[in-house]
Amino acid sequence: MAISSSTASLNLTRPIGSVLPSPKFLAVHSLQHRSSPARFRRLAAVIPRRTVTRIEATKQTFNSFDELLEKSDKPVLVDFYATWCGPCQFMVPVLEEVGEKLKDKVQVVKIDTEKYVNIANKYGIQALPTFIIFKDGKPCDRFEGALTANQLIQRVEEALKVAQ
Amino acid sequence: MATQATFLGSTLLSPKLDSSLRRSNRLKTRAQVDPSDKSVEIMRKFSEQYARKSGTYFCVDKGVTSVVIKGLADHKDSLGAPLCPCRHYDDKAAEVGQGFWNCPCVPMRERKECHCMLFLTPDNDFAGQEQTITLDEIKEATSKL
Repeated sequence: MAISSSTASLNLTRPIGSVLPSPKFLAVHSLQHRSSPARFRRLAAVIPRRTVTRIEATKQTFNSFDELLEKSDKPVLVDFYATWCGPCQFMVPVLEEVGEKLKDKVQVVKIDTEKYVNIANKYGIQALPTFIIFKDGKPCDRFEGALTANQLIQRVEEALKVAQ
Repeated sequence: MATQATFLGSTLLSPKLDSSLRRSNRLKTRAQVDPSDKSVEIMRKFSEQYARKSGTYFCVDKGVTSVVIKGLADHKDSLGAPLCPCRHYDDKAAEVGQGFWNCPCVPMRERKECHCMLFLTPDNDFAGQEQTITLDEIKEATSKL
């Protein structure tokens, strides 16, 4: 019971774009300092904001996209987008939903192709949005265009199955 | 060069926080100005006319339509022509000169294919029933961008 609670809180506290300590470490850390269940439950509700400041992980800065891919412990779903691309904006809530539903299986990352032109060029991005699924730092699936959450989940799960 | 990426996949990131992060990123790195009202109005009128002419319809989600119209206006302001906003280009000026992707683009003119989801054929899952959109609708839909 304790283990599943800590896993749940772990996912809530996952900081944005940081170099993360291993999940086990985080879980142990939070359990050591909060002993009573009632406090832990309250903490679980509060954790998102608190842990962000404590771990100072919101800077989201990596030396390169490659480093981001390298340091990820899960496959990465990358969305190449542009601000004024309609279908890309359509995908914003879809990606939030998918990111939440598949949070144990995949990390969602968005790259602004107008800001990071070199990265977009490197991967030969043409139509927007383009999605690339990276496994072990290498592209393993790629598709273009907007899709619904269910379609996207299906596509991601298929790609992850094949990679295994 | 430092890379800033938007990380999702966590309940940590509430929609409000995400949009403010994106907004602050935009301000920091691009000093982006909204396209001029004049260009938005021109592209709005063009979109309505062309939808009528081609027998296509706007997306059920008018937010998509609004963003694309603003994207077209933005390119018209910066490049002199409404280059398709839903593509990544090596050299935008060269593309404008070449013309393939100036709206209405060749795929649209030849095959009614609009991957921006601006002009949708009636059989498209995302097609709505409307061929009109007001400036107010556009402003409201893009106010949080």
